[in-house]
Amino acid sequence: MNIRKYIDLRLIGIVGSCLLIVSQFSSWYSGLSLINIFLITTSVAIEDSFLYLFPLISGIICFIGTFLVLYKLEYKLNSVIINFIGLGFFLIFIIEIVPKDFLYIGSVGFYFAVIGALLILLDVINVLKLNNNLIEEGN
Amino acid sequence: MRKGIKINTENESKKEKERNQEPEPNFYYALGHKIRRRIIELIGENGFSSFTVLKKELNVSTGTIYHHLDTLSTLIKQKSDKKYYLTELGIRAYDSIRNNIGSISFDISKKDYDSFLLKGLMYLTPKRIMVKTNKPNFFVIILSIMILISGGIFCALNGLYPFFLLFGTIPEIPYAPFFNFLFFLFNFFVFFCIIEAISRIFYKKKENSKEFLSTFAIIFLPSALYLIIHYFFLVLMVIEITFVGILDNIIMIIFQVWSLWLLTYGIVAYKQLRIENALIISLLLHYGGFSLILIISI
Repeated sequence: MNIRKYIDLRLIGIVGSCLLIVSQFSSWYSGLSLINIFLITTSVAIEDSFLYLFPLISGIICFIGTFLVLYKLEYKLNSVIINFIGLGFFLIFIIEIVPKDFLYIGSVGFYFAVIGALLILLDVINVLKLNNNLIEEGN
Repeated sequence: MRKGIKINTENESKKEKERNQEPEPNFYYALGHKIRRRIIELIGENGFSSFTVLKKELNVSTGTIYHHLDTLSTLIKQKSDKKYYLTELGIRAYDSIRNNIGSISFDISKKDYDSFLLKGLMYLTPKRIMVKTNKPNFFVIILSIMILISGGIFCALNGLYPFFLLFGTIPEIPYAPFFNFLFFLFNFFVFFCIIEAISRIFYKKKENSKEFLSTFAIIFLPSALYLIIHYFFLVLMVIEITFVGILDNIIMIIFQVWSLWLLTYGIVAYKQLRIENALIISLLLHYGGFSLILIISI
């Protein structure tokens, strides 16, 4: 069964970026979402607080990137570069947070974020593998 | 019949005259043929060229070379030493060939290429350095060595370990500057070997390995620049300031994207892979490095 016949695989990027955005508002540490942690840390140590917004920033940037390629496949390289930038924010967040709080993280928000990032990665590879003929045929 | 031939010959000589008088048609006409572009490149790379060298490099008949040399009469000139040199217009043609090398070899849609993002990245790509030449370019080799040394030194000063294009710390290993420096060089060779292996095994591309190695350090230029900026933030003790910390992270992301683009460009230029395949290799290796850091950190 060729799955490409039934669904447009480019949609997985949109799903992935939506998951990343949703993860910002879902529970990461025993009932606390990242937006809660951002608000708490802003009042205590503002220098660390912005880091907790990175998944949201990443999700928004990747949403723009994946939407661009859905809008027109001709922009696929731009879309890939925008997704690189978006995922960069997520990588920094993960590298900073996961080693520090590895034992405390395990709620649904974390899994949403990881699955979202993986879906975006798969979308990037899928977009790069799409044949240029598709562009000539007008998507 | 004879009249027809005469008219054709007159037309051709008229066209030839026009080409000789107006520089613009001649310029584009000259760039329109592979052999003529190669002649300009050969003379441009060395400053001059003899007929024997041209014949050896082009591997075509003497008559063909003379025909193309005649066509290039306003772009090249033969001096008293019998060698061919570029004229002012010829130098411009040579510059144009070198500057457009990216757009010539890349299969990019026009809309993609016209975007500010790709134009910006192309502007930041040292195309003249990352282009394949027949002779070893000592300037490029010295530049590569300088990038490696400065990258290694600043890695040591920052106490960071490189994992492909990312940087991190290893908690188990105490601060050892010399080890950081060596790790940067080791990372360079491992990264190159992996890309070379992928190109050879999966894409059957064995060519230009030495040339690729000689310019591979250019890919680490953004990393070295980031390490320098990060070190200055540390020395000035401003890294704890909110917006400097965020700025540091944003600079790292932008410089990583720049490095990834340079890597992609290098793979396309030297391994002759399609840009999409080169991007997939860059992407997978970058996230491979990330996974390594994450596993080690945990």
